[in-house]
Amino acid sequence: MNEQLLSVILWVLILLASVVSVEFGLSVAIIEISLGVIGGNFLGLQPTPWITFFAGFGGILLTFLAGAEVDTAVMKEKFKESFLIGLASFLAPFLGAMAYCYYVLGWTPEAAKVAGVALSTTSLAVVYAVLVETGLTETKIGKIIMASCFVTDMGTAIALSLLFIEFTWLTLVFLVFSTAVIAAAPRLAPKIFQRYGDRVIEPEIKFLFLILIIFMALAKLGASHAILPAFVFGLVLSKMFSANRLLQRRLRVVAFAFITPFFFINGGMNVSLKLLLANFGLLVQMLLVKQIPKLIGTYPFAKKYVPKDAMYTTLLMSTGLTMGTISSVFGLQAGYINQAQFSVLVATVVLSAIIPTVIAQRWFQPKMEFIETKEIDQAVTMVNGNKN
Amino acid sequence: MFKKILIAYDGSPVSKRALEAAIDLAKKYEAYFEIISVIEELPKYAATVGEVKEIQLEAQKHYHEMQQQAIAQAAAAGVTLVDKVLPGHEVDTIVGYAEHHQFDLLVVGRHGHSAIRKKHPGSTSANIITHATCTVLVVA
Repeated sequence: MNEQLLSVILWVLILLASVVSVEFGLSVAIIEISLGVIGGNFLGLQPTPWITFFAGFGGILLTFLAGAEVDTAVMKEKFKESFLIGLASFLAPFLGAMAYCYYVLGWTPEAAKVAGVALSTTSLAVVYAVLVETGLTETKIGKIIMASCFVTDMGTAIALSLLFIEFTWLTLVFLVFSTAVIAAAPRLAPKIFQRYGDRVIEPEIKFLFLILIIFMALAKLGASHAILPAFVFGLVLSKMFSANRLLQRRLRVVAFAFITPFFFINGGMNVSLKLLLANFGLLVQMLLVKQIPKLIGTYPFAKKYVPKDAMYTTLLMSTGLTMGTISSVFGLQAGYINQAQFSVLVATVVLSAIIPTVIAQRWFQPKMEFIETKEIDQAVTMVNGNKN
Repeated sequence: MFKKILIAYDGSPVSKRALEAAIDLAKKYEAYFEIISVIEELPKYAATVGEVKEIQLEAQKHYHEMQQQAIAQAAAAGVTLVDKVLPGHEVDTIVGYAEHHQFDLLVVGRHGHSAIRKKHPGSTSANIITHATCTVLVVA
């Protein structure tokens, strides 16, 4: 297929994903992955070097956004509870899935590590939407769950960056550069944004992209992954990011319109339906390998810190989407997993965004929280006061 | 008879008729009067928090503007209307809010909320009648 035709089909899929997302109230990412699967399996679309590059950058940008969207105040407020729940939520499925893939399924050590990382994740975005819908974002349980998701995300980012390092002097360059940028960013970035921001040519977004591209280039040279520095870079800028509504909006527009669709469509394109169907039993095993250790690891801590809603918390911590997809794509591109393993892992990750959420909302959802009772009571007294 | 009246409002023609009825009742009973709109458009299974936040902000702005027109309409009739926009499932949110704040009358339009995604017009009002713990007035 020639490049022009490929581009046209890709953009038709990208537009279609947005339209379907709006009409059905589903995340555009899930639709993009699904349309990528259709494109790869029925329309003959295959990833080209430029698609792979944009997809890789999309993954790093998503990781940066995940870091930048961390509410550090919530993390500090609920640090002990969230650290323990988040760490258990990462470690249990990471170790469980890795051990199962290596010892039971006979995967290579590298493939088992990719599976462990991909299945260890939790999706803050999936969880956040559920919490907003139930009015729980400002409650104790909501804050603990969100902060725990940040901890699990961090665990995934650390594991993916460190597990596959083949240490050379270029790795040192990568580490030194990343550390220097992260240390300087909180002081340097606001100055750059103040001097060059708020312009239609977007120097500040270009600055952020340049840093992320350098992370990617150095990570490749240093045989590591840029996910950890990208996440921490976002994290150290989160305060500035949350205070700058215009920057948030512009960055999201650029990311969602032009970059992240390539990441999700590329992920879907690499999924083979034929291999997925042939490995249906493995898919079921993988779902259990993610969910059972999550349950065993997370539930005791959830029971301790949010006793009334322990199962709800555990189920929401069992979701996954973006980080799991990023980990699987990394494993495929690095040659650690084959297409069948990749197809099963991505399907597991997507299903893990849906199944625990549905179960949590259907059977374990806490009662909706409504605030401002006092304000309304005062207003009612003012209106009706004279009549009573 | 009614001291606290809540109108569920989505800007549709039938919810506008429900608003007129609710204004009339609020004026007659000199009741505390509140308008609620529910954001249902939040994307399920989102990839980033930003996707959810942006859609929430856009919907909030849309409903806020819509409610300001309703507030002006109520003010013209000499009634004070308090606005509220909440995200969530429409029936759970409206019924839960009415119950939590002890409204004694809930006014809804028969084909009201989220007409785009509803396969069965009127199912929202039917579910509200089933689950509400206060008096419900359904305006056709």
